[in-house]
Amino acid sequence: MTQAKTERTPGKDAKKDAMKALRAERAQWVGPATAKAAEHKKAQKAIRACLAQASATPPEIAAATGLAPDTTLWLLASMKKFGEVVEADKTGAYYRYALAAQAPESGEG
Amino acid sequence: MDSAAHSPQDSPQVVTGTGGTGGMGVFDALVIGGGIAGLQTALDLADQGYSCAVVEKDASIGGAMIRLSKVFPTLDCASCITTPKMAAAAHHEKITLLTCCDVDRLERVNADEDGGSLVATLTQRPRHVDIEACIGCRKCEYACPVLTPDAEQGGFSGRKAIRIPFSNAIPQKAVLDVEHCMLCGKCAEVCPTQAIRYDQKPEQLRLEARAAVLATGFRLSPVADKRQYGLGAIPNVIDSLQMERLLAPHGPYGRVLRPSDGMIPDSIAYVQCAGSRDASMGVGYCSRVCCMYAIKQAMLLSGSLPLADITIYYMDIRAFGKNYEQFYQNAKAMGIEFVKAKVASLDPTEGGAVTVHYEDQTGAGVATREHDLVVLSMGMLPGWQPGQVCPVAIAADGFIDTVAPKTLPSLTAMPGVFVAGAAAGPKDIVDTITEAGGAAMQAAKYLAARAANAGLARTPQARTEKASIQEASHG
Repeated sequence: MTQAKTERTPGKDAKKDAMKALRAERAQWVGPATAKAAEHKKAQKAIRACLAQASATPPEIAAATGLAPDTTLWLLASMKKFGEVVEADKTGAYYRYALAAQAPESGEG
Repeated sequence: MDSAAHSPQDSPQVVTGTGGTGGMGVFDALVIGGGIAGLQTALDLADQGYSCAVVEKDASIGGAMIRLSKVFPTLDCASCITTPKMAAAAHHEKITLLTCCDVDRLERVNADEDGGSLVATLTQRPRHVDIEACIGCRKCEYACPVLTPDAEQGGFSGRKAIRIPFSNAIPQKAVLDVEHCMLCGKCAEVCPTQAIRYDQKPEQLRLEARAAVLATGFRLSPVADKRQYGLGAIPNVIDSLQMERLLAPHGPYGRVLRPSDGMIPDSIAYVQCAGSRDASMGVGYCSRVCCMYAIKQAMLLSGSLPLADITIYYMDIRAFGKNYEQFYQNAKAMGIEFVKAKVASLDPTEGGAVTVHYEDQTGAGVATREHDLVVLSMGMLPGWQPGQVCPVAIAADGFIDTVAPKTLPSLTAMPGVFVAGAAAGPKDIVDTITEAGGAAMQAAKYLAARAANAGLARTPQARTEKASIQEASHG
């Protein structure tokens, strides 16, 4: 057991080193991608919190979260694609969106 | 995608290298472009026994057509027509598909020796995924924390940095773009086949063939080129391919909504000739398909939004194909409003509506009207500029020049190089498929003549005869 553990460690270290080197090499992309992911994560969390109260239209969600209406719709469409959000009933000229009862595995959380 | 070993006549060979060492392959014909024209050409050649390599720049074959909702004038599902052809090409033993490839050079070498060969030098961009190992399960896509605008959905929703390009993409293999990857390693953690290759490098490929067909398609003239129409910055002014995605069953919203706020549009306008017949954009020609696709989209909108007002601002309606005029008349009968006018400019309005300023050509003069959503019927530009890549002649309109447009419309000025579809000029799907069949026939004739001239039994029939003789002599 101990021997097997010591055999795996160098491989893991090599992988870590390789990823570290790649991160340095691609720093001009990794930085902005990380910042964007953090921004979207925060926005999606706010949308989830809003929808946890009740279903809402994109303008209602935008008003509650402080997000721009077009960004709200874009994020809702993305969350819908990955099964986190579903379209509910209609209010006037807008559809309402709700959290899916059982959201599938997602890396957004 | 089949990249298994083949021999020139019986089975093409592509030896894909690892670590950027490159690979090579020998085929009867190269088809540059994996859209509907390229696939039809490859299928028609392969069915005659010629081995083909289809070189596609995107991560999936299918071209523009697989991204459309329906086709005119039949309103058939575009995907239902394209997907079987994509699958047929992917499974054809004579066809090798190469995706994510850029053509660096296409030239004829040793032209004095039996006509020589066409040699294509390609760069295959890395998918950062082992294509043999990937099973297309999308676990990586779900695990990826990065969202970026999905061009496949007109930018109206997000996609992950690693993803399967779209639901019916071929090959169903993931692709990761490093520009949006934060190298968090989550995709590699969840991949059941350890297919993620963060450090994959571009590969150089060298393909050799006796004939080539250029089927490089078109791109839409950019909205951002027209100052009067807002340079792409006015909310709720979209282009016609974006509307195709809104109308598609697997579109970004699953229905037609206004992108600025999700409102169900009550009034939708089409601006015709937005990117064609316009010297200010450098596109003096008619793109030939805009009238019909606008009418098609308007009819589909009438179906999905029965209460919406749909207006088409047009200079002329060019409904020239079989059953096209009837299609136009049907649209008018459905209540779609056709306003003979040239739209001068568009302005954003508070609340998300768009003001259309136009000159009514029936005598009402200058007028304005507000719409919830405006679609610009953009024109067709060449999808590929051969430039220094391939010494094929280009016509004044920028499309590939055909030397005998009336009698042999697939013939280019470069011997052994043919052209099919929108690469030669704007055309609709019907004409594209017809022309692809013609290009395949011309290429087959050329290959047969080359074989005959060389005294080699290379035609499928001759090969069969040769095999029979050999069988008889061995028997």
